[in-house]
Amino acid sequence: MAANPAIRTAARDERAPRLTLKMREAMEAWLFISPTLAGFLIFFLGPLIAVVWYSLTEWNLLTQQATFVGLANYQDALLENPDFWHVVRNSVIFAIGLVPLNMALALSLALALSRRFPGVVFFRTVFFAPVVTSAVAWAIVWKFLLQGEAGFVNQMLDYVGIDGPNWLREPNWAMAAVIVTRVIKMVGLNMILYIAALQAIPRDYQEAARLEGASNWQIFRTIIWPLLGPTTLVIMVITTIGSFKVFDHIYLMTGGGPENGTLVLAFYIYQQGFQFFNVGYASALAMIMFVIVMVLTIVQLALRRRDT
Amino acid sequence: MKAARTGLIVSALAMGLTSTSALSAELRFTIWTGNEAHLAMLNGFAESFKATHPDVTVKFETIPPADYTQKLTFQLAGGNPPDAGWMMEDAAPTFANAGVLEDLAPTLNSAEGYDFADFSEPALGLWTSGDTVYGVPFSTSPFVIFYNKDMFDKAGLEDPLALAAKGEWDMAKFQEVAKTLTEANGKWGFEFKDGQGYDSRIMHALMPPIRAYGGDVWANGECGFDKPEAVAAVQQLHDMVFKDKSIVPPGETGDYFSGGSAMTINQISRASLMPKAGFNWGIAPLPTGPGGESPVIGQAAIVVFTAGQQKELAAEFVAHMTNKENVATMAQFFPPARNSVLSSDAFITSNKLIPAEQMKIVADAIAKGKVLPSHEKSPQILAAMKPKIDALWRADANVEESLKAVCAAIQPLL
Repeated sequence: MAANPAIRTAARDERAPRLTLKMREAMEAWLFISPTLAGFLIFFLGPLIAVVWYSLTEWNLLTQQATFVGLANYQDALLENPDFWHVVRNSVIFAIGLVPLNMALALSLALALSRRFPGVVFFRTVFFAPVVTSAVAWAIVWKFLLQGEAGFVNQMLDYVGIDGPNWLREPNWAMAAVIVTRVIKMVGLNMILYIAALQAIPRDYQEAARLEGASNWQIFRTIIWPLLGPTTLVIMVITTIGSFKVFDHIYLMTGGGPENGTLVLAFYIYQQGFQFFNVGYASALAMIMFVIVMVLTIVQLALRRRDT
Repeated sequence: MKAARTGLIVSALAMGLTSTSALSAELRFTIWTGNEAHLAMLNGFAESFKATHPDVTVKFETIPPADYTQKLTFQLAGGNPPDAGWMMEDAAPTFANAGVLEDLAPTLNSAEGYDFADFSEPALGLWTSGDTVYGVPFSTSPFVIFYNKDMFDKAGLEDPLALAAKGEWDMAKFQEVAKTLTEANGKWGFEFKDGQGYDSRIMHALMPPIRAYGGDVWANGECGFDKPEAVAAVQQLHDMVFKDKSIVPPGETGDYFSGGSAMTINQISRASLMPKAGFNWGIAPLPTGPGGESPVIGQAAIVVFTAGQQKELAAEFVAHMTNKENVATMAQFFPPARNSVLSSDAFITSNKLIPAEQMKIVADAIAKGKVLPSHEKSPQILAAMKPKIDALWRADANVEESLKAVCAAIQPLL
């Protein structure tokens, strides 16, 4: 065990293949990311490819019988199944209702809460708290609050002389109710992103503008809003994707009802796959949803690029 | 060395003796209940199974009822099947037709003293096909009226049990009583089963009155919702909800078990909730109608899964769990389908919470009742029906038109 560093180094140099620094760095990098990469391949990419394959089969989960049917599932969904377009329509309505409302509210809150004033942390916490609240508890509590006549919301409305609807029992009101309660739940996340972006804007710009006599609105429109552009894009993309993927909220509050008024795409996929056990059909629907979301994201990115 | 050899011989002999059962096996049994009293009783069966199978342990695994069928399906599809389990009537045809249920007939017929013929034939309807037995009834539980005696007294009304004894407990009386109760108590007169009549228990809400009027939701592949009997029955419920305002309406809650409603429909396993309820109560038969008496039965059975590794052993446990003695033990919670137990005094006095006089109603309903409707495509039928039923439960809905829409939606699936 006599240690002679010089000899040892020489011996190693002879055995090891000669690696350039670059190669060695690359190898180390691969080594470091390999655990994540393995997870990604096994738990993400693998299933993703499997879904493509499943979508070409008629596969009953219970009987475990799968037959290759080509594009028949897609053909049925896109051309023959009237429910499918109703469901897509609901998803689009949900997104159109949710995304602008969420973003406008998040931005307003961020503008109000990005400055420092006593109690600001408290208010930020209040608006962020729903984000970390259990989705199940949130939906169940709102379901109680939104009951027909005995519900808290309608009793409050009653005080000011408004006869509130049976929120979760009338298709249009149910959709409005799930959108609004979802916005209140998730708006805190976007608010935080906006606050971070607002705080990153150097104060000098606004001060300079103010010295030049710019109004608050002018400062917002010509300085803040353009500088928030990248953040707005990110928020818009993730909120849109999130709104198409909404499931738990619908499942717990309305179960897709009433009269299929809140039956959105993600819930319909669940129904086909896990209630009717048509895994092949559900996979095809999931692929269609994937394409819809991807196209929307590309369009949003393209619009943004054109703007700048 | 000698000791080792002796040990080997002894174990070889032991293996020979217990060759019918696997050595130190564990059976996994899925069930919906997490109730301590229920589980204690079930674990008792696992313990007594050791008398014939000393090395076998049975583990009961609770899956909540709302997700039960779905999670079970995932376990089967995911290659992790339980050995045996509980199954509700609406899942039976789907699972039996999918070929995932093991035929229990050979084991049951060869089990000593089992007497399969003792099971009431109507109760086996869903679970047998020719000589094949897919499941053994575990609970054959009729729907009964639970009523709040205090609220009846306050309204100065005779309770349903007394009315039934006089032969006056019919659908018309039910409507009248519910209205009076609502007015007298300021609480709802009636709540659908578990408050879920507009959602997960649509069938449980509509079935009893439709059958009382002499109709059915479907039969022999034909939809029955739009037949005059069903229309009349549902019209009555609709009037009670929206005109009399005596039934908890959609989107409201009025839990019977906490005193929010004067009456509900449920099964006797729910009697376990009553000691905590804090009011006097009783059970009575379902109101009769133009169709006469027509008790409705909710049923569950125990089954063995074809995909399991220990099918024979699991089937032997099913035979043990449903022998005469154990069925009699279970009867306190889960009404039996064995004629010998049904007709025994032991059954009538088995439930500590329900007086014998009222338990007779249960026994009577099992003998005369019809199991809830079931279908291979139950999940699809319910999903197709749901939006049309939602439309029915609007105050201004035309009941007949709505029920026609229900039939139009489900007929292709029947």
